[in-house]
Amino acid sequence: MTSWLRRHDLNAANAAVLLSLWLFFIVFLLYPLGHVFSHAFFTSEGFSLVFMKLLFSSPNYTIILANSVNLGLAVTFFTSLLALPLALLLVRYNFWGKGFLNGLILIPMVLPPFVGAIGMRQLLARFGSINLLLLEMGVISQPIDWLGGGRFWGVVILESLHLYPIMYLNLAAALANVDPSLEEAAKNMGANRFKLFTTVTFPLMLPGYFAGAIIVFIWAFTDLGTPLVFEYREVVAVQIFNMVTDLHQNPMGYAFVVAVIALTLFFFYLSKRILGGGSYEMLGRGHVASAARPASPSMTIVAYAVVLMISALALIPHLGVLLTSVTSRWFLSVLPSEYTVQFYVSIFSHDLALLSIKNSLLLSSLSTVIDVLLGVTIAYLLARKRVPGRGLLDALAMLPLALPGLVLAFGYVAAFSATPLDARANPVPLLVIAYAVRRLPYMVRAAYAGFQQTSVVLEEAAINLGASPMKTLYQITMPLIFANLVAGAVLAFSFAMLEVSDSLILASKEQYYPITKAIYALLGRIADGPYIASAMGMLGLLLLAGSLFIAGRFFGRRMGELFRA
Amino acid sequence: MTVSVKFDSVTKILGQSRAVDNLTLEIAAGELFFLLGPSGCGKTTALRTVAGFYSPDEGRILFNAQDESRVPPHKRNTGMVFQNYALWPHMDVQSNVAYGLKMRRVPSADKEKRVKRALEIVHMLAYAERMPNQLSGGQQQRVALARALVIEPDVVLLDEPLSNLDAKLRIEMRTQIKDIHQKIGRTMIYVTHDQAEALSMADRIAVMRRGRLVQVGTPYELYTRPESAFVAQFIGGTNLINGTLEEIGDLLTVKTQAGVVRAKNGVKGIKRGDTVFCSVRPESLVIRPAAESSAIPSRTTNQLLAEVKSIMYLGDNEQYSLHLADSVMMHAVEYNVSARKAQVGERVALQFDAQAVVVLPQEELGD
Repeated sequence: MTSWLRRHDLNAANAAVLLSLWLFFIVFLLYPLGHVFSHAFFTSEGFSLVFMKLLFSSPNYTIILANSVNLGLAVTFFTSLLALPLALLLVRYNFWGKGFLNGLILIPMVLPPFVGAIGMRQLLARFGSINLLLLEMGVISQPIDWLGGGRFWGVVILESLHLYPIMYLNLAAALANVDPSLEEAAKNMGANRFKLFTTVTFPLMLPGYFAGAIIVFIWAFTDLGTPLVFEYREVVAVQIFNMVTDLHQNPMGYAFVVAVIALTLFFFYLSKRILGGGSYEMLGRGHVASAARPASPSMTIVAYAVVLMISALALIPHLGVLLTSVTSRWFLSVLPSEYTVQFYVSIFSHDLALLSIKNSLLLSSLSTVIDVLLGVTIAYLLARKRVPGRGLLDALAMLPLALPGLVLAFGYVAAFSATPLDARANPVPLLVIAYAVRRLPYMVRAAYAGFQQTSVVLEEAAINLGASPMKTLYQITMPLIFANLVAGAVLAFSFAMLEVSDSLILASKEQYYPITKAIYALLGRIADGPYIASAMGMLGLLLLAGSLFIAGRFFGRRMGELFRA
Repeated sequence: MTVSVKFDSVTKILGQSRAVDNLTLEIAAGELFFLLGPSGCGKTTALRTVAGFYSPDEGRILFNAQDESRVPPHKRNTGMVFQNYALWPHMDVQSNVAYGLKMRRVPSADKEKRVKRALEIVHMLAYAERMPNQLSGGQQQRVALARALVIEPDVVLLDEPLSNLDAKLRIEMRTQIKDIHQKIGRTMIYVTHDQAEALSMADRIAVMRRGRLVQVGTPYELYTRPESAFVAQFIGGTNLINGTLEEIGDLLTVKTQAGVVRAKNGVKGIKRGDTVFCSVRPESLVIRPAAESSAIPSRTTNQLLAEVKSIMYLGDNEQYSLHLADSVMMHAVEYNVSARKAQVGERVALQFDAQAVVVLPQEELGD
């Protein structure tokens, strides 16, 4: 035993920590997933494919699957359309104010579409601003029913406007990685600009493009908040949400979740194949000069126009939220007719609003503490120790990246019902753990990056001079990776504050509602509900934007790496 | 207290390879001892087992005959100078140097005095409040040295300490480190792949290859009496002429394709009929015009005919590349450069004394 420990560079304390990590992952990651699978494939009579068959044969269900797939595809298509010109402009050209535009492009990512949907609903209502504007301009004679028949497109637009920055980050990275000399060779052979792009540049970007496309697709496929706000119920995410409450009568929820997991795994497998298989980017890597060239004045104008236009589009929903939150009367007019701050004031007097803010602060703080502890420990073991099962530990810590929040939350409700952790009795422990697990990969990545940048020799130097391993960790390593830890923790905290699907599914009683679930509940109330919801949404946006700004300060340019596959 | 260090049949396995393979070595207290070898030979691994960063898979490390193999690194009292200095970027120079004293709970008045003295020894006192990133490479190196010395370690460990410095500074630092060693009189184990560094500084050198010890000795012994072609070639550079050992008497006679070579020295254990290398240092070769040398001056002088292929003028010396009869490449160094000894393309006679030749068993060369 001792020799085994020594071979793996472990002492008894390390081994105990490792054991508890495994236990944590087994209980809160593997067991819930296993539970879902077993209920999807086993009835009281043993193994059965009856639910899966039903899922893919009953027209009731196939149409839901088809809707979600279409939603995913449409969002992927539109984000590609928006992101590709942005990537080409910003990677290939240098011009004044490029950094500013780069930042502008990323803003929509920090604005959760769920909140934007509130504003969009206001703008897209039958007699909402957009219809009124179009009527006034004489473009249409009858108001369009955006929220009725057009709800699918409403969801597509909102999610696209939220997700294109992720696509942009992946495309820009892929483009920056294309060796300029390969393009020069094509030009040398006589390829014109169009040919050059279609035959050389884009094929070389494909792996990066797929990486982005897969994230976007799965995000759109499993997004719960936006379709809920739009009352677009015929998608997989909303179905799963509805089925959580009556799992005993209707086990189809398990089948849906299994379908989502299978799809997710398939796509991630695909991306690994594409990214791993197409290793042609390794060839011909002589020198990588910057491919960016100075833009001509007209090109600069084009770049500004494109970026500003797309950003303006992306901000429309949130503008809607802002307007809704500061208005007391907004009927039959393009812009509100009266303005007020009363709803911001009432957040702090309204019972549910105030309670939910307190809840969210508590839940997010607890989950962040767990993330920091787990994240640093895991990153330390991965970066500094030769622990047994290292690859598996890494995979488990990263698994939540590929695991939609919806799936995890569903698994928790199902697996821990009638246990002390039952979410229906008190959802606090499971909410905290769900938040923590979901954001763990960011924390692990942030801390791991810190450990990697900090040469192990710096630690050895301290140990050599007589510092114990613990002292070394606190006096040398921690101060050096502090920036990474802060950045990771800020991200974990702010994302937990605005976590949608976990909160909607797990928070069962009003007294435990976090902010997002309270917003959703308020939206459904008549009178001042939507206005207070909007005001809370704005607060959430400010919080997230602020904390991402802080995290960006610490992370610098490497911030984007967190959002890539 | 300064200690003797003993490697007792130490083996360390890293991944699949035996990075250190059954190494037995005794380093006397107060010695300036070098571990020398090409990269990947296991010298750094050996040093790190002394520091305690690796514990031996087999065998023991002894300090003054006391087994240290299982003592964790922070309880060993060794002071290490790392190749990249490993100065903590979040502490200034004096905090870096004071760190080891803080760990040892040295009272602060005493601590300040010792930090000051250590910085004085390495001429860095003026920089006590600088941050590491405000220092040049040479200055960082000196701070790293001060940090290792200030704790008055039982053994000072230096892992290629000069390899990141430019050539001129490297030679300056050799003298400084040697001076410091003399001043503090502590055991120092110094790892390098630079044979000139080892020759110029060491009390004794251990040459390592592929995890194993090849030869231990003073610089003079290693240079004049290499026991293998590897050592002969690695230390100082040499000419190796292929041949067969024909006779063993007061002189060893080796038949080569370029002619007969007689040697005064041979490694123990070689027999008649063995294929061998004759090792001759470039500076032992004398270039003579071919015409003058028809008569060989004496039995102990060898002479081989050669053709000059190229001449490199280096200011204080000239380096000749020559081909022997069977187009074996030879290098000769001529220190008297006032008059050219030969022209490129000219046929010459290479003369060298039997005393300068060492007969070595043939072996595969390279790392």
